[in-house]
Amino acid sequence: MRLLMVNIFVFRRKIYDEYNDEEVELTKEETKLVRRLLKGKTPHADFDPYAPYVDWFKWEDAKHPLSNAPEPKSRFIPSKSEAKKVLGLVRAIRKGFIKFDKPKEEPRFYMLWGDDASSSEKTGHLSYIPAPKPNMPGHEESYNPSLEYIPTQEEINSYQLMDEEDRPKFIPKRFTSLRSIPAYENAVKDSFERCLDLYLCPRVRKKRINIDPESLKPKLPSRKDLRPYPATCYLEYRGHKGAVMSISTEASGQWIASGSSDGTVRLWEVETCRCIKVWEFGEVVQYVAWNPLPELPILAVTVGQDVFLLNSGLGNEEIQRKVKELLHVETPTAPEDSGNKVSGWSWCQDDEHEGIRLRHFKSVYSVEWHRKGDYFSTVMPAGDSKAILIHQLSKKFTQRHPFKLHGLPVSAVFHPTRSIFFVSTKKNVRVYDLLKQKLIKKLETGLREVSSISIHPAGDNIIVGSRDGKLCWFDMDLSSKPYKVLKCHPKDINNVAFHRSYPLFASCSDDCTAYVFHGTVYSDLNQNPLIVPLEILRGHASSDGRGVLDCKFHPRQPWLFTAGADSLIKLYCH
Amino acid sequence: MDMDGDVEERRVQARFITKLKPPCKVPHTSIAIPANVTRFGLSTIVNSLLKAGNDEWESQPFDFVIDGELVRLPLEQFVLAKGISAEKVLEIEYIRAVAPQKEDEPSLHDDWVSAVDGSCPRFIFTGCYDSFGRVWKAAGECTHILEGHRDAITSVTIVSPEGADSVTVATASKDQSLRLWKFDTEEHLDQPAKIRAYKVLRGHNASVQSVAAHASGNMICSGSWDCTINLWRTNLSDTEGDLVSIKKRKVKNNVEESQMEGEALSTLVGHTQCVSAVHWPEHSTIYSASWDHSVRRWDVETGKDLSNIFCGKALNCLHVGGEGSALIAAGGSDPILRIWDPRKPGTSAPIYQFSSHNSWISACKWHAKSLFHLLSASYDGKVMLWDLRTAWPLAIIDSHEDKVLCADWWKGDSVISGGVDSKLCISSGISVQ
Repeated sequence: MRLLMVNIFVFRRKIYDEYNDEEVELTKEETKLVRRLLKGKTPHADFDPYAPYVDWFKWEDAKHPLSNAPEPKSRFIPSKSEAKKVLGLVRAIRKGFIKFDKPKEEPRFYMLWGDDASSSEKTGHLSYIPAPKPNMPGHEESYNPSLEYIPTQEEINSYQLMDEEDRPKFIPKRFTSLRSIPAYENAVKDSFERCLDLYLCPRVRKKRINIDPESLKPKLPSRKDLRPYPATCYLEYRGHKGAVMSISTEASGQWIASGSSDGTVRLWEVETCRCIKVWEFGEVVQYVAWNPLPELPILAVTVGQDVFLLNSGLGNEEIQRKVKELLHVETPTAPEDSGNKVSGWSWCQDDEHEGIRLRHFKSVYSVEWHRKGDYFSTVMPAGDSKAILIHQLSKKFTQRHPFKLHGLPVSAVFHPTRSIFFVSTKKNVRVYDLLKQKLIKKLETGLREVSSISIHPAGDNIIVGSRDGKLCWFDMDLSSKPYKVLKCHPKDINNVAFHRSYPLFASCSDDCTAYVFHGTVYSDLNQNPLIVPLEILRGHASSDGRGVLDCKFHPRQPWLFTAGADSLIKLYCH
Repeated sequence: MDMDGDVEERRVQARFITKLKPPCKVPHTSIAIPANVTRFGLSTIVNSLLKAGNDEWESQPFDFVIDGELVRLPLEQFVLAKGISAEKVLEIEYIRAVAPQKEDEPSLHDDWVSAVDGSCPRFIFTGCYDSFGRVWKAAGECTHILEGHRDAITSVTIVSPEGADSVTVATASKDQSLRLWKFDTEEHLDQPAKIRAYKVLRGHNASVQSVAAHASGNMICSGSWDCTINLWRTNLSDTEGDLVSIKKRKVKNNVEESQMEGEALSTLVGHTQCVSAVHWPEHSTIYSASWDHSVRRWDVETGKDLSNIFCGKALNCLHVGGEGSALIAAGGSDPILRIWDPRKPGTSAPIYQFSSHNSWISACKWHAKSLFHLLSASYDGKVMLWDLRTAWPLAIIDSHEDKVLCADWWKGDSVISGGVDSKLCISSGISVQ
């Protein structure tokens, strides 16, 4: 407000403002206002000091009248009953019936820099969690730290490249004196964040159970006790020009056969890596399988839509005579095939390769022999109801697998000792009894796509490899669900194999490795099989994204053959 | 210790002794030699000592033995490691270094050389994967070709090298038969003579993997993939056996004329896998090595196995020799050459293990005269010479480009080896006493 030193002249409307040292001419309104003030009236002419009274109390709805009665006397007299109670308490205290806690003694001194958490008053609370203390300043935060704390320019530049989170909060600097230290630019920000941390950050006491992670691992026997197992590659079988699709070992372990995508089947001597025989087919050889009988050195080979039964040429004259007799077809085609196009297979003589050519109506994926060497099964994934055929070599007779398959078949294997037949589709493995002609069991793998199957030589355990890199171990006595699922390969498993006599099994995959496992099956039915991973066999190179395509154990030695897409076959010895 | 010697160069008193003949003898006085000399330094010292006594001496490498061990470390370290007192005079025996001096031109075959025998100094006998056996008079000089097998030859042996002109040899083949051959070594022909077997021995049911002859030359034994060892007679006048065989062959109706058939005299059964090597060093004892991881000693008279050494690896080769002709050397599906002493009671652990190879061992042979020397051949393409007195190979012969399948000593101073590169390599000038 402007302070006015009023100096009124009735005749002149000018006043002198002493404060600002100036003459002020009053307006007409202002002079009127002044005049009213001088007369003792309200300054504004509009204000009516004698306006009629408006009663604020609503008389109509009030239940109770506003009483004006005086305070009753009882309010001023102390209660007798209370006095009795107090008297009783006083008496009890005097007699010592009621005891009070001793007054808490406030410590006269307290630790100024002490730990809040251990101070006595706070521990009284049940779940008091003290706020974390800010870090104490270190040497590097001195105004003149030693040289070793000061980062070089390069280091400072490298801080800039770091992520905001990882970047150090404080970069030490040197100042010659305390005077030259500038104000700390982040002071407000730091204390703000500290406050946020103090009252916003939730504090939770984490209950941590102290468990040694080692103790969670299953107790496995040492690898040294499980020797022998294949570990080192000493021999390589060179000669194929394309990926080796499949290998098979002869029963005595002297020879192996391999089929390759370069259209050849080769026969090798195991001991010296010598290729002793080559068959040319001109088409990708999908699968090779030796007859399991040592006295029948016959190779079954699948090429496109054909299955060839080849004479390996091993053995003495007597064996050769027998083999040639077996591999001779009198009537070139199967009897039911004539005129009936639906049954799509035919036996005929193949003079080029001196064997039998068994023609199918769709491309054949695999062929597996029965243990007695007379029957063999073939799998045509695209063959619908005739996808799986069982052939008899001695009678040159073929029959259809009589059950409906739910899904594409992948592989069909005979039981090593009993007349049981395993058929694996992409999702499940079905077990059939061939004598009773019925389905015994259906094993649910839970895998995306089964790629291979192998039967334990005792016949009660099965391993199944899948295209998602998982290996399932089924114990047929246990359940139709896998006993163990081993997720070890990052890529597709191409094949799995059991050893015939040693407690070993292996899997090979497109990640160019083969895994060797120990798998003991106990004759005691109460004891579960023992599975121990033993060795990762590396050495194959990747080719077109494919790695190791097949693995087979030597029938008598703890050795593993692996066939790679890099056209090599390797022998890993113990 | 030399008391005047300064601190940097410690010296030891040593005396050089030798069993070599006089031109190689040094004076029998003790001399002070620097303690840090290696084998090469010692060799230089001995050569200079010899040169001092004999002006025409041409220096040659020597090897040194202290307390029955070859010096392979600097002398100081060696003495320290062996715990030999440096105070007394050190007795250092020197011997000629065992290393091939000369590589002969390789003798080329048509296929892989699978077997070689050099037990007769007049010729080398090789077996080849092209089913022919060959006799070589010297490097590249083939005198005889033995025709008849239908498949690759796996093993060969010289049955009777003593005969002045006529020699009997035996071959084993993958065609499941063995053949006996007789030829005259003194013939001089421009072309290699082709010879047919005089006797065919049939009886194995699988590839014959190994063959060994008795010292008298009357009998041979063979190991095969059918897990058995068969014993055969070699002599021509064994009418009884022939009669039986002819009867049998008549049924099969493909008797070859002028060839006798032989039947196995007896069969030693016990191995469970391929018998990969046999050796018949004594009159009534046969040693055999097998892929069933065992080495067995058989008594020929009773046909029982006397002892069984378990090795843990599939074995490819076996040879008995060395001290008392009793040490068994064997190698197989790993790079370690193992030597057992069967006379040692209560243990079947190998007494020596040599592990410088990189791959399977395909052959091992003791030197005929030396107690300490043996050779080994491996699929890594190397032939190594070993001395029992050191764990390092004496020499590495690296003349093959691929796997070496067989190796043997020849004439006592050469190593012959054949391999996958179809070569027969001869490394000569090895001075083993």
